[in-house]
Amino acid sequence: MIRFLLRMSVLMLLACAVSGCTDFIEPNQLAFVMGTAVDHADDGEVEVSHQIVIPTQKSGPFGGSGDSDSFVVMSAKGKNEFEAIHKVQKKMTRRLMPSHRQLIAISEQYFQKDDVSTLFDKLNRDPANNLRDITVLVKGDLAKNFLLLDHPMEHLSSIATGKEMEINGMNRFSTRQFIIDSLSEGTRPLVPVLQIEQVKVRSKETGPIAALSGFAALNKKLKIAGFLNDAEGAGAVWMSGKGTFHAITLPWKNGKDTLSFRLTHLRRRIDSADGHDPQRVVLTVMAQAYLLENTTSLDLSETHYMLEVQKYMNDKIREDLQLTMDKVQEWGSDVFGIGEYLHRSSPYWWKSQKDDWDHKFEDLDVTVRSNVQLRSVGASGTSFN
Amino acid sequence: MGAVSQSAEINEAYLRAQFQHCSDFVLRSFTLRDETKLILVYLDGMIRSESIEDNFLKPLLFDGLPQGIDRIPSLVEMFRREWLPLTSIKTEDSLENLVTCVLQGCLGILVDGEASALVAQVQGYEKRSIEEPQKESTLRGSKEGFVEHLRTNTSLIRRRIVHPQLKMESYTVGKYTQTEVVLSYMQGMADEQVLSVVRDKLDKIDTDGIIDSAYIEEWLENNSFSIFPQVQNTERPDVVVASLLEGKVALIANGTPSVLILPITLWSGLQSADDYFERFVFVLLIRTIRYIMTFISFALPAIYVALSTFHPEMIPSYLMISIATARESSPFPTVVEVFLMMFIFDGLQEAGVHLPNQLGPVVSIIGALVIGQAAVEAGIISTPIIIVISLTGVATYTIPRYSATLPFRLIRYLLLFVTGMLGFVGFAFGIIFLLIHLVMLESFGTPYLSPVAPFDGKRIKDILIRYPFAPKSGRK
Repeated sequence: MIRFLLRMSVLMLLACAVSGCTDFIEPNQLAFVMGTAVDHADDGEVEVSHQIVIPTQKSGPFGGSGDSDSFVVMSAKGKNEFEAIHKVQKKMTRRLMPSHRQLIAISEQYFQKDDVSTLFDKLNRDPANNLRDITVLVKGDLAKNFLLLDHPMEHLSSIATGKEMEINGMNRFSTRQFIIDSLSEGTRPLVPVLQIEQVKVRSKETGPIAALSGFAALNKKLKIAGFLNDAEGAGAVWMSGKGTFHAITLPWKNGKDTLSFRLTHLRRRIDSADGHDPQRVVLTVMAQAYLLENTTSLDLSETHYMLEVQKYMNDKIREDLQLTMDKVQEWGSDVFGIGEYLHRSSPYWWKSQKDDWDHKFEDLDVTVRSNVQLRSVGASGTSFN
Repeated sequence: MGAVSQSAEINEAYLRAQFQHCSDFVLRSFTLRDETKLILVYLDGMIRSESIEDNFLKPLLFDGLPQGIDRIPSLVEMFRREWLPLTSIKTEDSLENLVTCVLQGCLGILVDGEASALVAQVQGYEKRSIEEPQKESTLRGSKEGFVEHLRTNTSLIRRRIVHPQLKMESYTVGKYTQTEVVLSYMQGMADEQVLSVVRDKLDKIDTDGIIDSAYIEEWLENNSFSIFPQVQNTERPDVVVASLLEGKVALIANGTPSVLILPITLWSGLQSADDYFERFVFVLLIRTIRYIMTFISFALPAIYVALSTFHPEMIPSYLMISIATARESSPFPTVVEVFLMMFIFDGLQEAGVHLPNQLGPVVSIIGALVIGQAAVEAGIISTPIIIVISLTGVATYTIPRYSATLPFRLIRYLLLFVTGMLGFVGFAFGIIFLLIHLVMLESFGTPYLSPVAPFDGKRIKDILIRYPFAPKSGRK
């Protein structure tokens, strides 16, 4: 027993010496990166900016007081992402910790002038990146400027955007999803677009806020194929199967009154038209609808009105989504993953199509169908007016 | 000097020589009316003197020999027939044995001209009354606890098992203390192999004295270097009775209120008597909490160190920033800080055990104010660590038996040490070593982790969820 203890203690001492505590790092020697911005720089370089939390000795995680900035943005230029990050690290007193990153913002300019796919090599290769963060596109401004923004409610603009996406049912836009979409042959990435707007947040204060203003459809080379506005974007998200809930407002037949619905349990299904003809695809969107506002004079406690509204709602949704679908098809960017479906249903046909899928997608005959169930008309029947 | 002599003078001289310088030794000699010389020997304070006066001295001195239907001719005759109005009496021929009996609190009676002595069991020393056990309190169930007096303890068990199959074998252990130890078991239920091992070990105990049953525990256990106890101790008669009915063996030593139970498993230390006094659905909840808390009690400091200094990416972002904020001005590395706090916590605990009752609150005030508040405000210790250590401390005391908490308090330090060096790899090493040790350990032939390893589907019901009426199936 004593010999065993002696052996154990020798082993322990050896372990001490061998490990050298290399992995050991104190939390106060770490700089937590909450957001990263990627911008185009001249001479083929890339500018990487890190939004870093300043942990302060006050109560609460972000310092409590709203006046002092709770973050700092450090940026540097380099020939590739790693070099730029390394230059940022050289200016820092603490080791950069990207594992807790909430968001990667890439500017529109970078998408246009540089090759975005090179960015994701570093993210994929380095295990320190968790890929749970969201990839967004910043339109009309530098991505760095987005990081520099203050938010009236949250302490960091990157956290604010992350929460905004999550609370609005769009939680399938992680970097991981982006990489999967960009690497698969039959899907193209759909990237949320942020735009910096001037918003009056208090009576005396007007400040810039980054707000979600739609989505960008990318093509095979990760160049922007086109921008979808907010409403079109929400439809595209629904049709690509990435949405969870959604709200729509439809004008009634007389063109004056409106009906508003909340849609939950968003789903979609792709079928070939005759069961096996890959050239004609039917995309069916499904949801459960709850009537939230009704300014028409219809008494929806009457079943036939309810059925009429349901039918009308389905027709309108189908029309709107078909328009979006046609628009995206013109760009030749299959953000819906129809190619992935065809890959599985008609693998031999797909082999001849996959090399030029962006063009082939343009010529595909895609029909949108809507199957939304009106589940509830609310507590009252008629409208109050 | 072996046998009792016929001459009272020789006997008296021997006894006086043996009990030289013993101020509590009383040798009373007097002569009756028929000129018979009588010697009484006893230790003052060890016998019920009133009973002797009333039943023995008064009749002899005032009334002469008791005269019944059959006249007793002499004291010697009465002596031979053991006609004394006392319940427990025996003759003793050896002077050494007489001395031993007197030391144990008997009354020795010697008569001139008789070559043997009478020994009367009239022990009447002061003893503590039965109280509620302090260490193992339960909400429901018996409030009786063991005391120091052996026969009171055996009677507490005997009163609960009214069956002749309950055996009480007596052993005397300790060269000077001559402590009586009773081996108690249910015949036919207890494992004969365990019994013979225990009998063997009891016979082989070679020690000057047994101060507490813990002394016997050390002589009994196979692996004295293991951090896990292989013998359970309890102050509760109901626990002993339940164990006896499960086929276990109990050892009751004179002079100690803690009774030993063996063999045991890891789980018996984590079970409370209350588990069997409440409805099983509720016990399921309580036990789950207790098992989780037990894990917390030895693993939480190590997990905290591993997570916050080796794998900060595993903590949710906002929590990690909270921890980083709290740790911003801490001068020590996390592992040192945790070690310091654990050290202080255990120190406070040790101080609390030894302090006189009146000074108890002082330690709590110092502990709470100085270490809790001031250290955090001064920025020496960070708040999350206070939370971790307090939670660990509370978790320790969800383990119902004090002696079962001790291994976990030790493991806490060892795990912290390896984890502080190697992170979760070290933690895994520590847990694996712990499991290997536990699987190898045996308590009197019973694997320490049974019925989990080796697996026994029937008995595991009692360990994990206390299936209704599982105690019946607890016996092997």
